[in-house]
Amino acid sequence: MHIRKYDAGFSRRQFLERTAKGVVAAGVLQPLWPLIANAQDTAKAYPEELQSIDAYTKGKIKTGDIVDAGNVDIVKDLLDPITFKQIKEMGRRIKIVKTATDPLVLNSNKYLEATVRNAGKAKLDGAGNVVTQDGKRWIGGNPFPNAKTGEEVYANLSLSWGRNDVGFYALRDCDISPSGEIAYKYDFCWVEQNVAGLTSDPNKPYLEGFDDMLRFQTVFFSSPNDVRGTSFLSNHFYDQSKFPDLFGYLPAFKRERRFPTNQRFEPLVPGLTLFLSDAWHAGDPMLTWGNYKIVDTKPHLAAAGSNWHGDRPGWEPEVHGGPKGISFYEYEYELKPEVLVIDSEPTGYPRAPVGKRRTYVDVRNMQGLVSNTYDRRGELWKLVEAPYGRYERNGKTVKDGNGEVVWSVQSCMAHDIQSNRLSRFYMAEEIGGGYKPSWNSGNLYEQFLTIQAIRRLGSS
Amino acid sequence: MQNFSYRLSHAIMNNRGISILVIALITAFFGWGCRNVELKTIFSDLLPAEHPFVETFKDHPNFGNPLTVTIMVKRTDGDIYNVETLQKIWNLTRDVDLAPAVDHDQVISISTEKVRYAEATPYGIDTQPVMGDSAPKSAADIEEFKRRVDMAPLARRFYISQDGTATIITATFIERLLDYGQTFEYLQGIVEKARDGQHEVHMAGMPALTGWVYRYQQQMIGIFAITGIALILCLVLYMRNLAGVLSPLVTSVVTAIWGFGFVGWLGLAIEPLIMVVPLLLVARSFSHCVQFTERYYEIYLHVGNRRKAAEIALSVMMAPSVLGIFTDVAGLLLIAVAPIPAMERFAVFCGWWAAMLVPANVFLSPLVLSFLPPPKNVRQITGADGDHGLHAAIKRFLGHVATLTYGRAARVTTVVFLIITGVSTYEFLQMKVGNPVEGSNILKEDGEFNTAVAAINRSFPGVNTLEIVLEAKNQTNPDRVARQAETIAIMAKLQYLIEHMDNPPRASLSFADYLPEANRLFAGGNPKWSPLDPTNEATGAAVGAVMLGTSPKAFLHVTDFEQQNATVSLWYKDNKQETVDHALAQVRKAVEMVGADHPAFTIRLATGTIALQQSINDTVAHYEYIILGALNLVILIGCALAYRSITAGFFLLIPVNLANLYLGAVMVELGIGLDVNTLPIASIGIGVGIDYGIYLLSRICEEYQATKRYDHAIRAAIMTTGKAIFFTASIVAVGILPWYFLSDLKFLADMGLLLVMVMTINMVLAIVVVPLMVWLFKPHFVTRDDLLVGESIDLSQYTEGRALEQAELKPMAAAQ
Repeated sequence: MHIRKYDAGFSRRQFLERTAKGVVAAGVLQPLWPLIANAQDTAKAYPEELQSIDAYTKGKIKTGDIVDAGNVDIVKDLLDPITFKQIKEMGRRIKIVKTATDPLVLNSNKYLEATVRNAGKAKLDGAGNVVTQDGKRWIGGNPFPNAKTGEEVYANLSLSWGRNDVGFYALRDCDISPSGEIAYKYDFCWVEQNVAGLTSDPNKPYLEGFDDMLRFQTVFFSSPNDVRGTSFLSNHFYDQSKFPDLFGYLPAFKRERRFPTNQRFEPLVPGLTLFLSDAWHAGDPMLTWGNYKIVDTKPHLAAAGSNWHGDRPGWEPEVHGGPKGISFYEYEYELKPEVLVIDSEPTGYPRAPVGKRRTYVDVRNMQGLVSNTYDRRGELWKLVEAPYGRYERNGKTVKDGNGEVVWSVQSCMAHDIQSNRLSRFYMAEEIGGGYKPSWNSGNLYEQFLTIQAIRRLGSS
Repeated sequence: MQNFSYRLSHAIMNNRGISILVIALITAFFGWGCRNVELKTIFSDLLPAEHPFVETFKDHPNFGNPLTVTIMVKRTDGDIYNVETLQKIWNLTRDVDLAPAVDHDQVISISTEKVRYAEATPYGIDTQPVMGDSAPKSAADIEEFKRRVDMAPLARRFYISQDGTATIITATFIERLLDYGQTFEYLQGIVEKARDGQHEVHMAGMPALTGWVYRYQQQMIGIFAITGIALILCLVLYMRNLAGVLSPLVTSVVTAIWGFGFVGWLGLAIEPLIMVVPLLLVARSFSHCVQFTERYYEIYLHVGNRRKAAEIALSVMMAPSVLGIFTDVAGLLLIAVAPIPAMERFAVFCGWWAAMLVPANVFLSPLVLSFLPPPKNVRQITGADGDHGLHAAIKRFLGHVATLTYGRAARVTTVVFLIITGVSTYEFLQMKVGNPVEGSNILKEDGEFNTAVAAINRSFPGVNTLEIVLEAKNQTNPDRVARQAETIAIMAKLQYLIEHMDNPPRASLSFADYLPEANRLFAGGNPKWSPLDPTNEATGAAVGAVMLGTSPKAFLHVTDFEQQNATVSLWYKDNKQETVDHALAQVRKAVEMVGADHPAFTIRLATGTIALQQSINDTVAHYEYIILGALNLVILIGCALAYRSITAGFFLLIPVNLANLYLGAVMVELGIGLDVNTLPIASIGIGVGIDYGIYLLSRICEEYQATKRYDHAIRAAIMTTGKAIFFTASIVAVGILPWYFLSDLKFLADMGLLLVMVMTINMVLAIVVVPLMVWLFKPHFVTRDDLLVGESIDLSQYTEGRALEQAELKPMAAAQ
């Protein structure tokens, strides 16, 4: 039955009213968080118009349809400006799929368990860092599942980037030039080890011996030959006002290089459009940015969790669009019923070329969907988009070290629309050097996340 | 009399309504096309498309930094190492990053994180920006800043002047997003704001140059208004009646609509730099109309009927007018022979406009006149009541001039002209190709832009570069050619060879320059590790060190984004022709020594300001004479057919070519060389200037039939048609000369001055040399009465109109 009161206009009015009053309360028909906490379907929190593109567009676009330049205007208000521009002007297309509503599909299981388990235990201390009520480092999951402010939303994004304690991501990258050709190709590994807020074991929220740290993270390149062994190590402090230490290693010289700690707006290697600052929509410690503000609450079209292509050779997604037909990944999109739009500014970087970052966050799992950065003139500059979801498709699954189906990032596109250069990379089954992805499979610190480790990687 | 022109005139005047309707419909069509008209400077279109240097430039547009703006801050009472100046540089750099269309990755100054120093420490290579997270605020901060600058050799060489008093900020723009006018106005605003008693701030670079041109477009509108008013004032003073003023105005406006509408429909951008030529065409339209109107008045006086007078005037003036316009069109269209896209568009636009003077001036003019009330002062204008005032003065003056062209005086005049011609020939042979100023020849030498270029040249390697391009044979070579040992070695060798020749360039730079320092630092810091091993492995390692954590955009001035192609940049002290010749000779010799062909790449000459200037000079030198030769041939054929005499063709060509010769001599005296600014002048000068000769020669032929005496014919022609020529030349000068005095665009000022000069010389030669030659050679064609261009007509057959004339003129006399 269609309850007329709860049409799209009702939802929109309610979202507008909330944003205007600065009130954030997820859910329209009923509060969202109790449903998630009880592992109930989130669909109960929203009217049909916010979960079905058919209903929202009054049948102009249906689930299963392709949105391209011909019909994207119908859903313009559901897209971020750069995605809209890509579809309208650059030949990108998206396929609309049914909106996922099961909290167990929307989250990494262990992470969701921790979020539920630790709900209400987090607070921001005087400096703005997340601590437990007794002042200790965070103990896992989203610290603010029912976030009320921009800072709280960003705390959810910043403390655990990948929503897994340990991630070893094997990524295959193509950097596309303005003419639509591949300018650079790389295989690289992104290794991420959280040392606080761990979720695999409820009794061990911290990795011992790293009291003032949040995570260690390494990027190392395995192909092509001219960059093989080149690596970067970032040590992130728990104090989110501190810049991470950043080291680079060049195997040819067997020597590491220390970078300026605030050099966050440069590519690691030639051709990459993704900068350290862009990663996970929260690449920099959250307190080195400021002026967080929730500027909108709205339904939004964004990548669904079904964009892992384990049924394709090497897990490689199909591509399309752009001048040569290879610019964009084929993504499945779904209508997210409630998305928070957060603005923030790089207040800790006096030389930052970025004026503002606008991030779209799904309130149901507090996961960043897409972000647009604007330059200091307020002109649109860059898009970072990364679908997350379960690694299961057509009967194929990948499991992590806890025996759970992996829930993780699946691919990423970073598009500088001013210079029209785009980097896209996907989680590959295997990359050059024989590296394969893994999740929560033991401690990677000694193997990948120290200066000695990156030296070893370079010489192997 | 029942010839084609008579029948056509009769048909047009008998169907005035339809004729006006057709012209109105055509005008509406082109008027609609005017909405697409775009005034736009495309600098690459000012370059000759087929020249090898231009092809190199187009294949490698990044080399030579055409989209880069350089802003220099100079402390006038000391060096830059003080809190105030460094804060100013910090602020200015942040403001530049706010410029529209700026590439944020390519804003570089000593305050950005891209200018770094590096030092080897026990913990690895530490690279940090030379300036911290804010401008230095104390003496200690400044000392630390100086220490860091000392450890950044390339920064010291390219971003801080040797004497430490100046520093530069460079910003590169994204062409796709760049609106030159908007970006320039923003940058100029912050530059002006940054200037004070202790700081000079200068801005140079192609976007700034284009911005200045755009800014002067506003000025151009003002000059257009001034010249328009001056032209109308001339008409009013000369004609003193409504028909005489309104007819040229209407026809000129219609022609302008057709001209602009045509390019609007074609979608061709109009180059604002050549807008002086359309103004010349307006002046030409005025002058054609004035000549026609004067003839119309003469006939009207006889026949006393406006429609009939217009019809007769049309039939007698059609052939000489069409021939005169044909030569204008030929002169303008032939400019397209030079393969410079801007000149090709110019030729199409102006050639079409000139061609439209035929329907507008020849056909519309009589239609308009036939509708307008008869002038009250027709007897005064035609001199029927004897000449008064200005008209009489001009006639008296021309009567004196006429005496120089026949009889005994003719010999003296001949000798004088022979001497002038001899001297001019000598001077002409001294003419140089190229017209270099420091900066851009489009703008005045003492203008703000060229002053900026000169200032930057004094403190830094400068803006006059010659780029030698190392181009990959396979643009998708997986080994990336610019990173290979041989490529790097050849770059370095070229630099070494050229720097050890006589008069070497001020500075040179290539990707190879960045590698030894990286090699040294990453190998532990000892200077002995600076040289690279000549292997791909060692070179690749050094390249990896340089590129680590950096965008390839930071090196786009030396190697492209994909690192397949590279350039060796050479900075020379100026762009004078001798420097250009010397630089090119040096480079050719060096390339010959290292060989142009290598397994993975080819060495291509050349791009950069020096090479591009030379490409224009080569083209101008080559095509100037081809255009003139073709134009002479076309005009010779046209005139020979019209006068049915090849002698007549030569007769008319001699004065216009003499005019060109004299103009060349004047240019040598004024120190102006042949360049793209002057390329169209000679062609337009001949095409337009020959009109005067045609009109005068036709009148001599006509007058000869009356008296069969050369001296009488010459005198009568000079005092009648010569007067019209005098007026029309004056009106052209009034239309164009203000550009010389008022335009800050040197390009327009030069063109304006040279056009006025060539038209004035043409006028003098038409009035003096054409009759002089007729007197000296007494050609047979003058005696014939069957010339296509003859203006003669027996008006006695229209004498029945006298009654009407008297009836129409009586009220006029009463009114006077």
